[in-house]
Amino acid sequence: MKQSIQRQLTFSLAMLLVVMGLLLAQAGLWIVDRGLRQHMQDNLQAQAESLLAALIKGPQGIELNSRHHDAIFLKPFSGRYFIIEFNQQRWRSRSLWDFELPDIQSMGFSEQLRPGPKEQQLLIYKSAYRRYKTDIKVTVAHDYSPVLASFRQSQIIGGGLGLLALLLTLLLQRQLVRRALKPLEQTRVQIEQLQLGQRSQLEQDTPIELQPLVQQVNRLLVHTEDTLQRSRKGLGNLGHALKTPLAVLMSLLRRDELQQQPELLALMQEQVEQIEQRVARELTRARLSGDALPGAFFVCADELPGLFQLMNRVHGDVLTLAWQASPGLRLPYERDDILEMLGNLLDNACKWADSGVELSIEREGAGYRVRVDDDGPGIEESQREQVQQRGSRLDEHSAGHGLGLGIVRDIVETLHGTLQLLDSPLGGLRVEIYLQPRHV
Amino acid sequence: MRLLLVEDNVVLADELCAGLQQLGYAVDWLTDGRDAAYQGAVEPYDLIILDLGLPGLPGLDVLAQWRTAAISTPVLILTARSAWSERIDGLKAGADDYLTKPFHQQELYLRVQALLRRSHGFANQSHLSAAGLRLDEARQIVHSHGQEIELTGAEFRLLRYFMLHAGQVLSKSHLAEHLYNGETERDSNVLEVHVNHLRRKLGKAVIETRRGQGYRFTGDGAPQ
Repeated sequence: MKQSIQRQLTFSLAMLLVVMGLLLAQAGLWIVDRGLRQHMQDNLQAQAESLLAALIKGPQGIELNSRHHDAIFLKPFSGRYFIIEFNQQRWRSRSLWDFELPDIQSMGFSEQLRPGPKEQQLLIYKSAYRRYKTDIKVTVAHDYSPVLASFRQSQIIGGGLGLLALLLTLLLQRQLVRRALKPLEQTRVQIEQLQLGQRSQLEQDTPIELQPLVQQVNRLLVHTEDTLQRSRKGLGNLGHALKTPLAVLMSLLRRDELQQQPELLALMQEQVEQIEQRVARELTRARLSGDALPGAFFVCADELPGLFQLMNRVHGDVLTLAWQASPGLRLPYERDDILEMLGNLLDNACKWADSGVELSIEREGAGYRVRVDDDGPGIEESQREQVQQRGSRLDEHSAGHGLGLGIVRDIVETLHGTLQLLDSPLGGLRVEIYLQPRHV
Repeated sequence: MRLLLVEDNVVLADELCAGLQQLGYAVDWLTDGRDAAYQGAVEPYDLIILDLGLPGLPGLDVLAQWRTAAISTPVLILTARSAWSERIDGLKAGADDYLTKPFHQQELYLRVQALLRRSHGFANQSHLSAAGLRLDEARQIVHSHGQEIELTGAEFRLLRYFMLHAGQVLSKSHLAEHLYNGETERDSNVLEVHVNHLRRKLGKAVIETRRGQGYRFTGDGAPQ
């Protein structure tokens, strides 16, 4: 799975919240627990002291003044207990009933909670005093389990609340992240539009974090276009430099001196023609931009009339040329590439057609289908394979049928499309090209 | 017919000049774009053959200057730039035809001939026919009443110009400007001699003289 900023943010925030929440809750409980225990210890100490104070010297020796201690010591298993020991005597609170407090050796507070009756957890304090010339040991105990129970309850409630808060936070965070990442999403959509040829630049109006990226992409686009233009200009110059001497050679071949040497002339003509074909094909291929310019597009309704006007100019007005494309149809490819492809296709078709040539371009699925029909002689099925080969010609007199299709095949390959030769309903050849959708 | 050839390759230009002159065109030749922009604007050319890769000023800019100045002389672009987009751009810039290098000379001559005819309203004709005469430009002879009549080079040039401008009054200086290039000395007496030769071969009424105005080609005896 591809990394997503949103997922990553959500995940890390959730982890952070859970860990922090647990830590905080635990620390909170620990602090409260400590405070409570401290408080109870103080209580126990005070209780022990008040029990000591309740011991009075009566007629039969030391007595416990029952008015001075709480009724809670009388109720069985009330959670408050005491034991007073002196001179082999041992007084237990009535509340202990038949339960024996665990024996504590050391004075002061027991470190741990000790088991009490009825699953009570006892905090125990034992202390030694000397009163009425007698050593008196007082042990008091307090049931801590209600506090523990309420802790557990608050843990559950707290946990539930925490979970709810976590969910809420995550939901909120998702919204926030989505809003914060919106410019990123917009840029992503724009890049997609760029690929589809629906725009040629990214919007500059983005948050500062994205500015460098957007600017860089735009600069790259401009740079690529510049480079393409420069290299095309260079190729144009190279073509000029090569083709003008070729034109000179071709006109020199018509000289009378050479006409007297027909064999030599034929040989030279053939060589010159080969150079010409090769130069034409390689220069055409080199000019193709292919995928280099993502923002490029070809608007059928803008470009086709000019192309057809040119075709009529080249091939005379005897041919009926027609084109068909849905209004507003844009192909997400570079103008020169498409013009070169259509130009060669139509030029070919016009050379062979008797009376008419038809072009149709339509969307099919995510791609585009281009058809060129003519009413000429067509090509035998067995020969169709061969026509597409490099520089082959079926008819030496109609220059460049094979050559034209070869160039078209080069272009179609560059655009990642497919080319098929079929029978045309007009009676001649149908060249059908399917251009794949551009991958985003 | 007077043509301007703008081409910076000397050998090619020599070949083309020779070939075009053989076909009865008066040719001026320039190599620099700036010169072409000026001369094409002031001289009355019937057609201009323009290379695009010119020193001084790019051919397309030269063409744009002419078209901005409302000079409607037919222009045939002759260039090594063979991409279809460039051809379309050439036509959009105002060119009337576009031929890519390398080319067969014959192809260029046919295009020139077709463009001249088209610019004078003779579209889609294999031969130039006007006012009962049919001119065979390849053989430089004229058909009149089923008869083939041979012409000298000068007569052919004159007759072709008359036929393309049938019914129009053409002054001697106008004819001289369109039949001779900038380097030829123009002598109106020579023109008179050629007009008389044509009248002798085709009949007196073919060309009528408008005193003080010039000549008017009326065709095969029948005034239009």
